[in-house]
Amino acid sequence: MSRITDLQKNLFGGTTSNARQFGMISTLVAIVLLFQIWTGGLTLTSGNLIAVVSQYSYILILAIGMLMVIVAGHIDLSVGSVAAFTGIVVAKAMQEYSIPWPLGIVLGLLVGAVIGAWQGFWVAYVGVPAFIVTLAGMLLFRGGNQYIGNADTVPVPLGFRDIGAGFLPEVGPDTGYNNLTLLLGLLACLGVVAREFKARQTRREMNADAAPLWVTGIRLAVMVGVIVFATLRFAGGRIGTSVPISGIILIVLVLAYSYYTRNTIGGRHIYAVGGNARAAELSGVKLKRVNFLVMMNMSVLAALAGMIFVARSAASGPQDGLSWELDAIAAVFIGGAAVSGGLGTISGSIVGGLVMALLNNGLQLEGVGSDMVQIIKGLVLLLAVAFDVYSKKQGRFSIIGALARPFQRDQADTSAEPPKTATDTDTDKAQVAG
Amino acid sequence: MTRPPTLLEMRSITKTFPGVRALADVSLVVAEGEIHAICGENGAGKSTLMKVLSGVHPHGSYTGDIVYRGENVQFHDIRASEQAGIVIIHQELALVPGMSITENLFLGNEPRRRGSIDWKTAQRRALELMEQVGLHEDPDTLIKDIGVGKQQLVEIAKAFAKDVKLLILDEPTAALNEADSQHLLDLLRGFRERGITSIIISHKLNEIEAVADTITILRDGRTIESLDVRADGVNEDRIVQGMVGRELNSRFPDHTPDIGEVFFEVRDWTVKHPSSEDRLVCKGSGFTVRRGEIVGFAGLMGAGRTELAMSLFGRSYGHYVSGQVFKDGREIQLKSVPDAIRNGLAYVSEDRKSIGLNLLDDIKTSMVAAKLSKIARRRVVDPVREHRVAEEYRQSLRIKTPSVDEGVVKLSGGNQQKVVLAKWMFTDPDLLILDEPTRGIDVGAKYEIYGIIQRLVDQGKGVIVISSELPELIGLCDRIYTVFEGAITGEVTRQDANPELLMKKMTSLTKTATP
Amino acid sequence: MRRGIIRGIAAIGAVALLGLGTACSNEREGSSSDKGAAAKGFAKDSLIGVALPAKTSENWVLAGDLFTNGLKDAGFKADVQYAGASTTVADQQAQISSMVTKGAKVIVIGATDASQLSTQVAAAKQAGATVIAYDRLITNTPDLDYYIAFDNYKVGQLQGQALIDGMKAKKPKGPWTIELFSGSPDDNNSKVFFDGAMNVLQPLIDKGDIVVGSGQKDIKQTAIQGWKAENAQSRMDGLLTSTYGSKKLDGVLSPNDTLARAIITSVKGAGKPVPVVTGQDSEVESVKSIMAGEQYSTINKDTRKLVAETINMVTSLQKGDKPQINDTKSYNNGSKVIPSYLLPPVIVTKENAAEAYANDPKLSPLTK
Repeated sequence: MSRITDLQKNLFGGTTSNARQFGMISTLVAIVLLFQIWTGGLTLTSGNLIAVVSQYSYILILAIGMLMVIVAGHIDLSVGSVAAFTGIVVAKAMQEYSIPWPLGIVLGLLVGAVIGAWQGFWVAYVGVPAFIVTLAGMLLFRGGNQYIGNADTVPVPLGFRDIGAGFLPEVGPDTGYNNLTLLLGLLACLGVVAREFKARQTRREMNADAAPLWVTGIRLAVMVGVIVFATLRFAGGRIGTSVPISGIILIVLVLAYSYYTRNTIGGRHIYAVGGNARAAELSGVKLKRVNFLVMMNMSVLAALAGMIFVARSAASGPQDGLSWELDAIAAVFIGGAAVSGGLGTISGSIVGGLVMALLNNGLQLEGVGSDMVQIIKGLVLLLAVAFDVYSKKQGRFSIIGALARPFQRDQADTSAEPPKTATDTDTDKAQVAG
Repeated sequence: MTRPPTLLEMRSITKTFPGVRALADVSLVVAEGEIHAICGENGAGKSTLMKVLSGVHPHGSYTGDIVYRGENVQFHDIRASEQAGIVIIHQELALVPGMSITENLFLGNEPRRRGSIDWKTAQRRALELMEQVGLHEDPDTLIKDIGVGKQQLVEIAKAFAKDVKLLILDEPTAALNEADSQHLLDLLRGFRERGITSIIISHKLNEIEAVADTITILRDGRTIESLDVRADGVNEDRIVQGMVGRELNSRFPDHTPDIGEVFFEVRDWTVKHPSSEDRLVCKGSGFTVRRGEIVGFAGLMGAGRTELAMSLFGRSYGHYVSGQVFKDGREIQLKSVPDAIRNGLAYVSEDRKSIGLNLLDDIKTSMVAAKLSKIARRRVVDPVREHRVAEEYRQSLRIKTPSVDEGVVKLSGGNQQKVVLAKWMFTDPDLLILDEPTRGIDVGAKYEIYGIIQRLVDQGKGVIVISSELPELIGLCDRIYTVFEGAITGEVTRQDANPELLMKKMTSLTKTATP
Repeated sequence: MRRGIIRGIAAIGAVALLGLGTACSNEREGSSSDKGAAAKGFAKDSLIGVALPAKTSENWVLAGDLFTNGLKDAGFKADVQYAGASTTVADQQAQISSMVTKGAKVIVIGATDASQLSTQVAAAKQAGATVIAYDRLITNTPDLDYYIAFDNYKVGQLQGQALIDGMKAKKPKGPWTIELFSGSPDDNNSKVFFDGAMNVLQPLIDKGDIVVGSGQKDIKQTAIQGWKAENAQSRMDGLLTSTYGSKKLDGVLSPNDTLARAIITSVKGAGKPVPVVTGQDSEVESVKSIMAGEQYSTINKDTRKLVAETINMVTSLQKGDKPQINDTKSYNNGSKVIPSYLLPPVIVTKENAAEAYANDPKLSPLTK
């Protein structure tokens, strides 16, 4: 049993919902392969991958913030409206007062922060449930969008459009690929290897048995393989296209927030508040401050997502942000977060969001109508969470066992002495459980 | 002495869970009309045995026979066992807080007339049932408005509504105060006179000794022995010996106190109730703690001990009115939990699961949760140090777990309590306040926890122990304060402490002078 | 043994990487000059993408069906998509991107928000596709190739005239009291309709023959967000309460049938006599209403004709010919003047309904 958990942990990282994440990653791979075959290879073309990233990056950015909100035990229904409101404010400011676009972005983030402070105040310091505060916010800021924009569309200047529709520029010699993207890929590979090395070192320092070398090998091979593949795809798109700027913003945010939630005191506090607010408070966690910051952060990210969408659409319109909150919430739950809070990871939510995005994209490539797409997405959400609930009831994630068993046998056959620790810990556990 | 006829016989019951043998060849013989106690440490298999009996683990999932009233019975679910008159009352009460006593009594079993609920009959039957268990309340009172003790009675009355022949009580007095416990035990004796058989599972050995006719002791999923209380001259030590498999010379580890100067003092501590403005939960309390001293707080449930502790711990309860706290001669401000932690206070709450731990966390995360800054560099947690700290505590507190990466939810109550203790020891406190530190914990683990407390004071820390079990306070503490209705009513030293004296001070307001 | 495994994995990894590398056929190509591509034409069985707004009106559903069948009959592969009802803009953006990925040669877009598609239109253009704006002009982009629609300014003029004619028929002498409604502000056509109608109405308003009862004459005041019936109905409810307690309402300028029916429902709900109400689109319910004498007029913009002309355009592009254009100056989308092909609309009232719908299998039975 412990060998299986070992493999999960070692192959897919993270601490909590490993099984869940493994399940989601397999689902993602399955969806990609399915559509890759079904669409005759269109899914993994450069053009399509680039389009998917720029199309869904704003939803994934929302999912980052939403994950933290949901982990803390709240929900935010207002993100779409906040995004739309920020979009129109920024667009109007740039159009009517002709402020330069970098200032426009700063203004947008500021608007997000102010809105977030407003919502955070009600949630954290007054104690109104976030569901209500953000439901109110949803109406408030949607109305605000229409009031300011007169329900009209307002175009944004060219420079601004880059954050949503721009790509890494072409520099350096003609390699047949986008050079900056190649560089980025190289950095990613180095980063992965370095991280793996550091993780092994950490395990050794803990006196814990580091993962067997072959596991590390597979893990690195898989990850580097994926990165190389993605790099070549993104670097090999039509000239002028490469990794979208919005994709780079997304990657930076994912890395930063993953690190924050996993490794810092602030991140720990969010999980503590969501897991048991009273216990967290009695352990010295400043409950109100955590709740305030989580809500505020969400609105800032929503503002950013709104600006990216506006940039990509070249204009801010009255329909911006409609039902984005639902997409973001769905991504988080598909990614394994618990409805009651306290559980979930950024990477899980991103995978969840990608599952939805690729599903959407694949079905559209197949020419399936948006009505059917919605039905299918609804079912996927329901089944993903139902499967989660079911496997939790069963106590074990059976797919994991099935997938890991061959490895386990392999190990037993090949290693000279039987894995003694495994049996020891098993009996230990039995005693504790009994 | 002729033994009455046998009501229930469970023969060589064996029940295995994947990887664990919970029961191995267990036998149990219960005579008609007796009070039969089942004792054993946590994990000995008591609850599993009762789940087999009541059909929670259905027939076929175990081996062995159950003979009930002379027949070989096979229960496939709880309904089947209830129909046979076997009713089990769990530790966690199955009542709906927002419904009235009547509604709860007949939940799922409502008397009907022409398709709708016949509330008149229900009302009348409810009064009858409540009379049987000595519960004198308006049947329309909501469950949440009556105390735990009375809720327990409602649960028992519910059993009577189902025409009970064999009543099984799992830790019935764990959450009750002395008076309520006493009432419940009297009730059981009354049932015995009316010919109702009871099985009682309890950690409170003094109660078992007082009330049981027969005691069956389980250990590691096996029946160890069955004792006839009167004939065998059973006492607590005898039971403990059976449970732990060795003779316990003492229930408390040997300890020579090394008590120093007063370093912590509270004066005139007054706190208002959080919702009703005119109610005081602490009335001008004052007390002191010396270095190396274990100070006990005795009082009935609701006397205000927990409220006093929590309000001191960063004003986590009620509204502060007045009072001062001195540490090492200087006045300190404890306006928030971080303040309290910074000033070297630690509070281990009485309710581990609902406010002590985040049950989603693993062991190492829980242990460092109250002072993350100690293992962090520039607000970033260092996993190596975290792991090392957790390993140290796992070893020094002898926490039974294969790894500190396991979830706390998998641990037994005693081990969870050790994790909570580790969490607070990690904050380097000077004063630990332990609220009911051994509630719901088996004898062996209690002994270990007493040892931990003694080691803490040997390091020169002060420890406050709040407990409802007087023998525990008397055995462990160097000095005991008694609390009654929010006020400190007395101070008793180890030499003078005895249950009678404490009980008297816990129930009256004759205030003795406190320093 | 263990070393063997590691070596095996390393080998597999290397092979996989090599495989991936070669599988990554480079898609790099310069932004091919699409004018040339259009001039050369393309294969006869190429994919043609059609992106339409949400199925909020019968016309879009009909157009979709006509495109699917018509393109297939013409030998093309058709991919016809509607935007989802709640996430229209984002959906349409994604659908157009998918069409580009699939290599559509021509993409016909009935825009859901005409000013939020420039990124996708640019991508399509770079991939060598020709983009045709269908019915609604896409703005803020230099990459749009053609625009095909009914002459919407003319539609507005016809609506204005019909309103006057209808009121004159009921009450020969002015002044007449009217209310103005216009379409969704994010639809570029709304302003064109409104301007056309005002072109006819304004002189009479200036003379005082026509009075706008509420005084709301600005397009911002009269706009109905999303062309939604419920929004029109609530605006009308409001107007009736605020302005027409005792005053009589003679006519309402409504830009389309869905809104016209909503306005009539509102008036009837308030227990007032039904005024002269204009419309557009020849929706079944409105034709019934006209025959029953409630709605006064509608516009017949025969979707069949528009779709047929669009498919003609696609066919000429396929052959490498220049498609037929009849207007090269009216439609500036903010970046350039778009070559357009405009079809003439027809006004329909009870009198000429039978004649106007003679060729329409669905509507002609209603006029008998």
